[in-house]
Amino acid sequence: MKRHLIAASAGTALAAFPAVAHYGMIILGDPMVSQEDGRSVDLTMSFSHPFELDGMALETPVSFTVTHEGNEMDLLGSLESATVMEEQGFTLTYPLERPGTYVFAMEPQRYWEPAEDAFIIHYTKTYVTAYGDDHSWDTELGLKTEIVPLSKPFGLWEHNVFQGIVKLDGAPLPYAEVKVEFYNNGAGATVPDELMITQTVKADGFGVFTYAPPAHGWWGFAALNTADYTLPHDGEDKAVELGAVIRVHFEEWKGH
Amino acid sequence: MEGPLSCRVSARALHHRAAALGLALLAALSVASAAQAHTLVVFASVDCEAVSVEAKFSSGKVAQKGDVRILDGENTLLKTLTLGSDGTVEVPLADLPHGGGLLIEVDTGGHDNYWIITPKDIARKCGS
Repeated sequence: MKRHLIAASAGTALAAFPAVAHYGMIILGDPMVSQEDGRSVDLTMSFSHPFELDGMALETPVSFTVTHEGNEMDLLGSLESATVMEEQGFTLTYPLERPGTYVFAMEPQRYWEPAEDAFIIHYTKTYVTAYGDDHSWDTELGLKTEIVPLSKPFGLWEHNVFQGIVKLDGAPLPYAEVKVEFYNNGAGATVPDELMITQTVKADGFGVFTYAPPAHGWWGFAALNTADYTLPHDGEDKAVELGAVIRVHFEEWKGH
Repeated sequence: MEGPLSCRVSARALHHRAAALGLALLAALSVASAAQAHTLVVFASVDCEAVSVEAKFSSGKVAQKGDVRILDGENTLLKTLTLGSDGTVEVPLADLPHGGGLLIEVDTGGHDNYWIITPKDIARKCGS
């Protein structure tokens, strides 16, 4: 695994920390598009260590869809190859033809992680609201594994709590572990200890987890679990890590 | 009228003048953002035949009655229509001088909001 220098807190020396967690990412140019903003939304897809801004190659996904008013549309053919964090990624400008909530979802190709002796598949999604209509903000897509938002996944102030239900095969997953990580793009966030790059919370007995971020920006919530199936690698059956990832933007509070 | 409404109408006029010039400029000019009645969602789509207006509340319920005012790029009232019980109303595009864009206002009595159709919106749908 790559090693990277992470700026430590003021007064302490720089320390070498390993990049500890990689996630699927769908980042929107704007999670709340008003008619004054335009008639489309920009998306950037990557596979990366979001806090360290360390990119990894994202191969062409297995699927990339948008769901609006219950209708799912395949967008895989519309993705444009791009360099994101110095690695292979994708971009898309999607026209928002009508008001409402649009859910973008990506199933990546399985990624072999030798350090974990397992495959990784992170089902990644994010929500955007168009033209003042936030109806269906709690849309559940029915993915293999998914975080279903209990808090509206846009229009949140920094420090607000975000709650979601971790689901696997459509059922809530009691006491699921959820990793939380900040997309440190332009924020210059630093950590005093590598343990703070990724925050960890557990869901309750109903699969509900809660987290309140310390700052505005894009935050990722990833519930990682081992699949009930294996995949072959070099003639051996290997475990598969299934990730339910949701990207949520928290807005800056500018009041007193 | 006086008070907040006159301020809002003024802001609308700003939006409208900007609409006449295009959406990009609108974004720059719309600091004095208009109607804050977020509970009513107004949307209008256009093709080469007609302007279709729809209004619903954030709950998802359609607005079953209301006045629909259509203004041109010079802020001149062109038509006043009545919203249908299904929350929609349609007007032929040919009946509207739309070269400078259109401002669609919906007022249900208790709530109001607007949608701007820019010249670019019309060109995008009509290819003209």
